[in-house]
Order: sequence, then structure tokens, then C-alpha cells
Amino acid sequence: MAESVNEERLTQELRHELEQELDRPLDEAELQRVRELVRAQLRKELAAKRRREAATEEEYFVRFSRNFCLQHLVLAISVILLAITGLPIKFHDSAWAEFLFRHIWSLETNRLLHRVGASLLMLVAVWHIGWLMTREGRRDIRELLPRVKDFWDFVAHVKFMLGISAERPKFGRYSYSEKFEYWALVWGTAVMVLTGLMLWFHGIALAYFPKYIFDIALQAHSGEALLAILALITWHMYHAHFNPDVFPINMTIFTGKISKKRMIEEHPLEYEQIMRERAEAEQQ
Amino acid sequence: MRKIIALWVASVVLLSWLGYGQRDPNARCLLECHANPNLKREVAPGQFKSLYVDYDQFKASVHKDKLCIECHTDVTVIPHQRRPDQIHCLQCHYRGNVVGAPVSERPERYKESVHGKAVERGDPNAPDCKHCHTVHAVRAHTDPRSPVYRANIPKTCGSCHIEIYTEYLESVHGQALQKGVLEAAVCSDCHQEHDLFPPDDPRSSLHPQSVANTCARCHADVKIMERRGVPIKQVEAFKKSFHGIAIEFGVLKSANCISCHEYHKILSSRDPRSPIHPLNLAQTCGQCHPNASSNVARGRFHIIPSDPDAGIVFWVYEFYRWLIIVMTSFFILYIALDLYGRWRHAGRSSHG
Ligand code: HEC
Ligand code: HEC
Ligand code: HEC
Ligand code: HEC
Ligand code: HEC
Ligand code: HEC
Ligand code: HEC
Ligand code: HEC
Repeated sequence: MAESVNEERLTQELRHELEQELDRPLDEAELQRVRELVRAQLRKELAAKRRREAATEEEYFVRFSRNFCLQHLVLAISVILLAITGLPIKFHDSAWAEFLFRHIWSLETNRLLHRVGASLLMLVAVWHIGWLMTREGRRDIRELLPRVKDFWDFVAHVKFMLGISAERPKFGRYSYSEKFEYWALVWGTAVMVLTGLMLWFHGIALAYFPKYIFDIALQAHSGEALLAILALITWHMYHAHFNPDVFPINMTIFTGKISKKRMIEEHPLEYEQIMRERAEAEQQ
Repeated sequence: MRKIIALWVASVVLLSWLGYGQRDPNARCLLECHANPNLKREVAPGQFKSLYVDYDQFKASVHKDKLCIECHTDVTVIPHQRRPDQIHCLQCHYRGNVVGAPVSERPERYKESVHGKAVERGDPNAPDCKHCHTVHAVRAHTDPRSPVYRANIPKTCGSCHIEIYTEYLESVHGQALQKGVLEAAVCSDCHQEHDLFPPDDPRSSLHPQSVANTCARCHADVKIMERRGVPIKQVEAFKKSFHGIAIEFGVLKSANCISCHEYHKILSSRDPRSPIHPLNLAQTCGQCHPNASSNVARGRFHIIPSDPDAGIVFWVYEFYRWLIIVMTSFFILYIALDLYGRWRHAGRSSHG
């Protein structure tokens, strides 16, 4: 219905314009041609609109590159391996550590696995630093730098959660919590790698460092490790798995894709920017 | 004069015979033979074994109420028709003996010990019960005159292990013992007296995995160590250290107490001869860590991070403890808040 009304209106408008230009009324055949043209144009537009609508419904954005996802995967494997082999050394008095070392694998095997995990972690660290030099990496690190806005985002988010304010703060590519986690990871890895290398190569290190440095290194290593593991099983697991938005698992970090719906909800500023960039590209 | 003396001797003999005879069923053995210090038997041409029994000693021994024939059961007539059997203390001191001879598991396990095996092999120098306890003058180990009284044990063992004995006497334990500190370690505290195994035997109290517990019997005992003014945390600190963990889970090449402290010549860290004296420590650690330098002497050795004595290590420990508490509480609070927020907003949108 609306379409035929539209069609009639457009036809009449066009006719009016043409008549003014030609300075004479259009004859029946001419009018028929105008009507046909309008109808064809409208049909084309309608089809385009339908296509666009269908596309946006299942539209995905590429949030992370292959490379980035692979980095995360190796990191995850190494951290899990390190935790499994590190915790029983820290809690060597516990029954489960006892069980592990007496029945599953020996302390020597455990140490070997821990060092494999450590090597993977250092591999990822080097890889990541290399990646930060690429165009993609340079952009991401800029996005990851902490800003004053992050603090206010945090305050606003807490207010929102408490119901003091009704509006959710708008996050960019990385929200304050993601930035926090990233930098905590950077710091933690630095501490763990430094102290870990010292304990690993104590044979060499004993020549250069006083005994109390080893004791400090050991304490820092075990304290930082526990902190990291607790952060992973609370903060990280919540954001990646148990958060109702993504329950049971958030696949973004493995596939690199994020749905438009979550994109708009979680990273509205980035979404807006991407849209702006696309519009600009289309115009050119 | 001679007659008087002869009469006197005869009456003494008679009286003592009567005296023994009236009170003591052991009298015949003694009077006729074994009270004579010169009584001996030729075991090999030119070699004699004394058969004398010092009866005063015997009467003061733990077995004073036993009759000679309760132990020497095959002696029925005097003089013996044949040589009495060789007997052994274990014929009574075994588990389940109704006569009630005291046993711990230990005398029985003597047979499997280094010494017991050596005796079994016929090693003439190896100790049987009698070498440590004597035969007829056995006294309880609580009796200061006993050779197995704490203060006498080093000398008893030392009668065969002479070099070790002299080494031991110089150690803190030996010095303390000589000053009358009975709590100090004697040979049998470390080695056990009866179930004494070589250190590579897992049953040994000095197996690398057991050494810490052997020292711990005293060095983790607050009462003993406080009295002697020796710090007590070392054992706990050792067990928490990587060396201790490694030993516990079977990495025997790791260090245990004696790798660093020596064993017979254990000395205080203040003594310049000690392997743990700051000047010698690089060499001590160097047995296993060839690059160790004098740096290893910088910083206290046995520390428990949770103990304020640990100095800066304690502060690192505290820092992480509080960081973990604060951060984990924050994470959990944040998650609770987030869930609460979601719940609120979900409720509102379904109403509106
Ligand atoms: C508690 C048990 C016990 C009692 C009681 C005891 N003996 Fe003995 N006696 C032994 C043992 C054990 C030996 C063996 C020592 C050895 O292996 O050389 C021994 C050895 C001897 C020997 C040396 C035998 C030899 O062949 O070398 C004589 C002699 C002897 N006893 C006499 C006596 C007399 C006399 C009495 C009583 C006053 C007595 N014993 C009471 C346990 C005892
Ligand atoms: C006839 C069996 C018998 C024989 C053989 C025997 N003992 Fe005993 N032993 C006893 C009895 C019974 C007692 C407990 C005496 C008492 O408490 O009155 C005892 C007590 C002891 C004690 C004191 C334990 C304590 O804790 O007070 C020692 C030490 C001892 N015997 C060592 C030996 C030695 C060494 C031999 C070998 C030379 C030996 N015994 C042979 C029966 C025997
Ligand atoms: C290498 C020396 C040595 C030998 C050999 C030895 N003992 Fe002992 N024994 C000791 C010492 C040391 C003690 C004291 C333990 C203590 O102070 O707790 C002792 C204590 C004892 C005790 C009394 C306390 C207890 O733990 O029950 C008995 C009984 C005993 N020994 C029996 C024997 C018998 C039986 C044999 C022979 C099979 C034997 N011993 C061989 C050194 C020895
Ligand atoms: C009568 C002498 C004698 C007495 C007393 C004696 N021992 Fe021994 N001991 C020996 C002999 C001999 C051997 C060697 C055994 C062998 O060949 O395996 C030996 C072996 C040992 C060993 C094992 C050495 C090794 O190479 O592993 C230890 C440890 C030991 N004795 C400790 C002691 C202690 C502790 C005492 C005192 C409670 C003691 N001995 C009393 C003679 C004695
Ligand atoms: C503080 C504990 C301690 C004391 C006290 C002690 N020992 Fe030892 N002894 C040891 C240890 C540890 C070893 C060596 C274990 C190893 O080789 O791994 C040892 C080894 C020995 C050996 C084997 C030979 C050697 O030198 O390796 C003999 C024998 C011995 N001790 C006898 C004695 C005698 C005798 C006494 C008393 C005078 C005594 N010990 C006191 C701890 C002790
Ligand atoms: C039977 C108890 C006992 C046993 C077992 C024992 N010790 Fe001791 N130890 C003592 C006593 C008591 C002292 C204090 C001596 C003194 O008063 O000077 C001491 C002192 C020491 C000291 C010197 C402390 C100082 O500050 O001067 C060292 C080091 C030591 N022991 C190491 C060891 C080691 C290592 C072992 C195990 C192989 C061991 N001890 C086993 C009782 C024991
Ligand atoms: C008997 C040998 C032995 C002696 C002595 C020894 N160590 Fe060790 N130590 C080990 C072994 C084994 C390891 C396990 C690590 C390895 O071999 O890779 C280890 C590990 C260590 C480590 C690293 C592990 C950690 O977390 O602490 C340090 C640091 C160390 N030792 C310091 C010392 C110092 C300091 C001394 C001297 C006071 C010393 N060690 C004496 C055998 C020894
Ligand atoms: C890796 C070497 C090493 C091991 C293993 C070790 N210690 Fe020590 N120990 C030392 C050093 C070094 C000192 C010097 C004091 C200090 O710096 O705390 C010391 C000091 C001590 C002291 C204080 C005595 C003094 O003179 O200061 C005692 C007691 C002691 N240790 C007992 C033990 C006992 C018990 C064990 C086994 C459970 C053990 N140690 C294991 C190296 C070691």
C-alpha cells in the first residue's frame, strides 16, 4: 500500500518537474515511461535495503587477528601448565601435592614441565613484543595505554551497577577492565620471568647475587604466581566465561570475531569509529 | 701363726659358703669356680678366655634376681659334663616373651643392623650385645654407671670407632656432652643403637630423606633448644626450602642437614673451622653449585618468610600477602556488583 502511494507521489513530483522544464503537459505515453522508471528504481532500492538488513543481523566484526588469537592460545597453555606444576611446589605440604609427586609424576618431571611452560611464556612475551612493532600492534598498544577516561569509566560503571546512574559508560576498543588485565599481565610476566630465570639458572646466579636476593626472588615468584592464578580464576574467568552475557564461553579470543550486538554493547566507541571510517571509505 | 691363718681362711670360706648357701642359689657356681678371677679356659693354644664372673657387679645389675641357670639353662650338674652352650641375650629379649624381658622393637632389629650382620658374618671386631652392655653387669640405660648411659655412649662406641670418637668430641654436641649437657646428640641419637643401618638403606635414620627428622627430634624441640639457647626454626625452614622439598620428594642429590653441617664435626657458624662459617660457605655450597661465591654468605640462611626475623624477605612476603588479599577481595566484590547490576537492569527492563 505504502509503496503504491509512494510511487504515485514520486511519479507526480517527477511529472511536475518535467512539465515545468518542458513548459507543456506530458502526454500519456511519456507519463507511462516516467511511472515505469520510478517503479524500477524503487524496486531496486527496496531489494538493496532488504539485503543490508539481512546482513546487519548476523554481522560480525573482526576484533582480533589470527596472530593475536594464537598468542593468546599459547599464553593460555603456558599459564595453565605453569600453574599445574607450580602450585604443588608452593603447597608442597598439602595432600594433593603429595599425591601428585608420589603417584602421577616425580618432582624432576614436574620441574621439567614447569620449565617447558616457562619457555612457552617467554616465547609468547618475545613474540608479543615483536608483534607490537607491526602496524596492528602499534595501533593496539596505543588503544591499550591507560587514560584518565578509564578511571572515570570505572566510576561511572560502578554507579551504573549500583543503579545510581542509568547510563552505562561507553567503552572504546579496550575497556578499563581489559586494560587493567593487560597491564597486570605485563607486570606479572616481567616479575615471573625475571625471578624464574634466576631460580632456574641459580647455578650461574649464585656467583653474582647474595643469598637474600634468592629468597626475595623466591617469595616474589610464589606470591606473584598466586596472585595471578587467583586473578585468573576470578576476574578473567568471570569476564571470559561466567559473565551472563557470554556464558558459557566467550569465543572471541579464539575466533577473533565479535557479534555486532556485543560490539555495540561493549565497545560502542570503537563501533562508532568503525562505522565512521566505513562511511568515509564508501564516500571516496 | 700359720694355723691361725689357715683356720681364718677356712672359716671365711666356710662362712661365705654358708652365707651363699643360705641366701643364694647361685652359690655353688660361684664358690666352686666362677668367683675365682683366675678361672679361665683355653680357647686356642696359648689363648685363654676368662670365666670369672664379678658377683658384686652381677648383684648390682638388672638381672640380679636371675639365677645363673635361668640364663645358662643347659647347666644342670656341677661340674659340667660338657661345655655349656653359647647363649644369647635375644633368647629372652624378644617380643612376646612371657618372662617379661623388656624389649623395644630395637633389640630384635639388631640382627638386621650393620653390626648384627657383621657378627653373623663372623667379624671378630663387630659388637654383639655384650660389647655395649657387658654380659653379667648389665645396667639400665638410665643408670649413670652403665656403658649405655647417655654420657658414656660415645666412649662405648668409640672403643671401636676411635677416629670418629675423637672427631665427635670436638663437635658442638661432643663439647656440650663433656660439659654435662645430656640433651646433646650422642652417637645413638643419630644412628640408633640397635637398628643401625648404613645411610643408603631407606630404613636408616640417616638416609638422606630421614636426616632432617633425626635432627628434628632435638632441633625442633622448643624445650631443649630454648634451654641451650639455640634457635629452633632451622628444621622448619629447611623443609620449606627448595633443598628440603627436593629431598622429600626423592631428589636425593639435593642438600640435607649434613651436606652443609658435616656430621661428626658439627660446629657452630661462629667457629672458623665450621663449614657454615661465612668464610667457608662458598666452598660448602660449592660441592654442588660450582659457581657459588662468597655472596652466598650474605643474608641469613635458615629463614621462614612469614617470620619477622627474615628481614626484607619477610616484607616481600607480607607485601604479596596483602596484595593478594586486597586484590582478590576486590575482584570478588566487583563480580558481585556486576551481577547485581545486571540483575537490577534485567528486572527493570522486564517490568518496563
Ligand atoms: C641374664 C642372663 C645371665 C645370667 C643371669 C648369667 N649369665 Fe653367664 N652368660 C650370659 C651370656 C649371654 C653369656 C654369653 C656371653 C658371650 O656371648 O660370650 C654368658 C657367659 C657366661 C660365661 C662364659 C661362658 C663362655 O663360654 O665364655 C660364664 C662362665 C658365665 N656366664 C657364668 C655365669 C654365672 C656363674 C652366673 C651366675 C652368677 C651367670 N653366668 C649368670 C648370660 C647370663
Ligand atoms: C633369662 C632371660 C634374660 C636373658 C638371657 C637376658 N635378659 Fe635382660 N632382662 C631380663 C628380664 C626379665 C629383665 C627385667 C629385669 C627387671 O626389670 O627386674 C631384663 C632387663 C634387662 C635390661 C634393663 C632394661 C630396662 O629398661 O631397665 C637390660 C639393658 C638387659 N636386660 C640387657 C640384657 C643383655 C645385654 C643380655 C645379654 C647379655 C640380657 N639382657 C639377657 C631377662 C633376660
Ligand atoms: C652398639 C652397641 C649396642 C649393642 C650391640 C646392643 N645395644 Fe642395647 N643398647 C645400646 C644403647 C646405647 C642403649 C641405650 C639406649 C637409650 O639410651 O635409649 C641400649 C639399650 C638397650 C635396652 C634397654 C632400653 C630399651 O630400649 O629397651 C635393652 C633391653 C637392650 N639395649 C638390649 C640389647 C640386646 C638384647 C642387644 C643384643 C641383641 C643389644 N641391646 C645390643 C647399645 C647397644
Ligand atoms: C665392638 C666394636 C664396636 C662397637 C662397640 C661399635 N661398633 Fe660400630 N662397627 C663396628 C664394626 C666392626 C663395623 C663394621 C661392620 C661392617 O663391616 O659392615 C661397624 C660399623 C658401624 C657403622 C656402619 C659404618 C659404615 O661404613 O656404614 C656405624 C654407623 C657404626 N658402626 C656405629 C656405631 C655406633 C653408633 C656404636 C655405638 C652405639 C658402635 N658403632 C659401636 C664395631 C663396633
Ligand atoms: C649428629 C649426628 C651424629 C652423631 C652424634 C654421630 N654420628 Fe656417626 N654419622 C652421622 C652421619 C650423618 C653419618 C654419615 C652418613 C652418610 O654417610 O650419609 C655418620 C657416619 C658414621 C660412620 C660411618 C663412617 C663414616 O665416617 O661415614 C660411623 C662408623 C659412625 N658414624 C660412628 C659414629 C660414632 C661412633 C659416633 C659417636 C662417637 C657417631 N657416629 C656420632 C651422624 C652422627
Ligand atoms: C639428641 C638431640 C640432638 C640431635 C639429634 C641433634 N642435635 Fe644438634 N644440638 C643439640 C644440642 C642440645 C645443642 C646445643 C649444644 C650446646 O649447648 O652448645 C646442639 C647444637 C647444634 C648446633 C650448633 C648450634 C649453635 O648455635 O651453636 C648445630 C649446628 C647442630 N646442633 C646441628 C645438628 C644437626 C645437623 C643434627 C642432625 C644431623 C643435630 N644437630 C642433631 C642436640 C641435638
Ligand atoms: C648436596 C648438594 C647441595 C649443597 C651442599 C647445596 N645445594 Fe643448593 N641445591 C642442590 C640441588 C640438587 C638443588 C636443586 C636444583 C638443581 O639442581 O637444579 C639446589 C638448589 C638450590 C637453589 C635454587 C632453588 C631454590 O629455590 O632455592 C639455591 C638458591 C641453592 N640451591 C642455594 C644453595 C646454597 C646457598 C648452598 C650453600 C649454603 C647450597 N645451595 C648448598 C644441591 C645442593
Ligand atoms: C644448604 C645448606 C644447609 C642445610 C641443608 C642446612 N643448613 Fe643449617 N645452616 C646453614 C648455614 C649456612 C647456617 C649458618 C647460620 C645462618 O646463616 O643462619 C646454618 C645454621 C644452622 C643452625 C644454627 C647454628 C649456628 O651456628 O648458627 C642450626 C641449629 C642448623 N643450621 C641446623 C640445621 C638442621 C637441623 C638442618 C636440617 C634440617 C640444616 N641446618 C640444614 C646451612 C644449611
